Amino acid sequence: MTFRNTITRKISLTVFSLLCLAPFSFISAQIVEIKPKVVVAPAGQTVRVKRKNKKVVGGRETFAEKSIAVDAKVNISLCVSEGNLKITGWERNEIRAFVANGSKINLKVQQKSRQTNNPVWVMVTGSDPTDEKELSSEECLSGEEIELDVPRGAIVNVKGRTTETKIESVRKVDVKNIGGDISLNNIEQGIKAATYEGDVMVENSGGAITLETANGNIVAFDVAPSEIGDIFKTKTTSGAITLERIEHRQLEIGSNSGSIKFVGAFNGGGQYDFRTQNGTILLLIPEKSSCKINALYGFGKFNSEIKLNILTENNISRSQRLIASIGGGDANVNLTTYSGAIQIKKQ
Amino acid sequence: MTDKCYDIGTIQAFLDGELASEQTEVIARHVSACDGCAVLLAEAEEESAFAFSALEQEFNTLVPTQRLWTKINDSIEREKKSFWKPIFVFLRQPSTAAFASLIFVAVVSITLLSLKSDEPAKIATRNDAKIQNLIPVASTNLTKNAAISVAPSAPSLNPPVKREANFVNYNQNKEEVRPVKASLVQIESKARNSKTPVATPDAERITASDNVAGEESYLKTIASLTETVNERKDQTLTASSRFAFERDLAVTNDAIKKMKKEVQKNPNNEAAKQILRASYQNKIDLLSSVADKNELMASLK
Repeated sequence: MTFRNTITRKISLTVFSLLCLAPFSFISAQIVEIKPKVVVAPAGQTVRVKRKNKKVVGGRETFAEKSIAVDAKVNISLCVSEGNLKITGWERNEIRAFVANGSKINLKVQQKSRQTNNPVWVMVTGSDPTDEKELSSEECLSGEEIELDVPRGAIVNVKGRTTETKIESVRKVDVKNIGGDISLNNIEQGIKAATYEGDVMVENSGGAITLETANGNIVAFDVAPSEIGDIFKTKTTSGAITLERIEHRQLEIGSNSGSIKFVGAFNGGGQYDFRTQNGTILLLIPEKSSCKINALYGFGKFNSEIKLNILTENNISRSQRLIASIGGGDANVNLTTYSGAIQIKKQ
Repeated sequence: MTDKCYDIGTIQAFLDGELASEQTEVIARHVSACDGCAVLLAEAEEESAFAFSALEQEFNTLVPTQRLWTKINDSIEREKKSFWKPIFVFLRQPSTAAFASLIFVAVVSITLLSLKSDEPAKIATRNDAKIQNLIPVASTNLTKNAAISVAPSAPSLNPPVKREANFVNYNQNKEEVRPVKASLVQIESKARNSKTPVATPDAERITASDNVAGEESYLKTIASLTETVNERKDQTLTASSRFAFERDLAVTNDAIKKMKKEVQKNPNNEAAKQILRASYQNKIDLLSSVADKNELMASLK
């Protein structure tokens, strides 16, 4: 009897403890069930993958997305107060804007085409996500990630505060940031890019190009004019400039305390101006180049690996000058520095 | 490389702009020729940039820095040593105070007597004072500009013929006085609109010479840009970029100064002239980068 009682008590104890543990097992089962949803997008559509460790506004992630059909050669203006901006050209005549964890989006049509009635000028603005009113204010976009897909023929104008800007495959770009790097790729018909605290990088692009930065470096390679007379200008105050395979016939390159490096060949009849205050000017050119060198180097020095045909040499202290030619002397190359060194090396 | 290399202390002092201009020049020349020192300089620059970026937040906080405290203490000291202090001390002496009060009473009584005897003069004095107040306003605004190139307009500031006739009957003949005032306002606005830059310390230091063609226009541009930049330099530039800006500006100013001397010594030195022009252009680029940043920041507000 006692044995039976003991067994009954043990069984009831076990049942009781199992009952007590049941809610916990239910919770753990719930946790196990939370899995990322797998989104299968229809063919031809982009899948946006939610990134981990994102900053969350008001306890949850917010996304804003809007699109509008536009003309193929649309002008797009936007300003960004903060966030990483990425603009990509695509084959559709449509603008699609996406902002993660940031402002709302407003696509404001400024002008329409008389022929097609499609928008030819669109302003992309933002507004406070907590503001429930109608979107009327013309504020800058802000967010963790700001992405725009625009037609390949679009002209893009961007003004930014602190923005990492990446623009790819559009017709023309004009971007001005207070801070942040600018990276431009495959821009067909011209670039104007300026940042005051960051680097500027351009590749595979064409047209008239003006690149400026105050405290940053400039890198440009595989760049060509799209029309005769297109000028390539770069300016930095305390950064370095590196140029490779620049096909423009007119170059104006200036750096205050940074160095300039030019790699490539000079085009016949071209005009190349390189100017620094106390930075080095380094030209890496083919041995069989054809150019006329006009070098001015106040306190600096001049050095050439390639044999020069010296026409004039003036070694007055503080204002040294050298005029020389390489080959037929087809291109004009002006090199001016106050206390930097000028070096010509074989490519 | 002919000179011996410099130690990191000297290189750092060079970077911080603490050396005399002659020594700076020597080191700059040496660094351009010596790879070892160039590497040292680059390292020092990197370290400075790193330190500045690390301390940037500290610099930007509103906690008063040692420099600020020094400035405050200096200005308190200056306040203490003001012009009026010795006068007050002098007047506190009893004999001086008695003498001064006697003179004051005498002046007041003479004034009262003269006012009673000549009533119309009172009106004239009052109105004259009004116009006297008006003229300095115009001339004060002009004095800044007149120093540079508004001198031709200065004589028109004094319309002495009409003045007396109008001032006596100002209350009755407001219409006659208004044109005078209007002409003064016009002169004032002309002076303001003429894009002649206000003289700045930089512009004063560097004056145009006849030897370099176009130098004056460079100087004008530099003066106007300097004014714009100085207004908002502190708000626009972060600590590290301010450091880089001031360093570059000092180097460029030094180059301009030396090249100007060179041109003055030998006005036929075309190379020196070209380097001088290039240095001016570099300075303009440097200043305009800050001015453009200013503009962009204002447009984004």
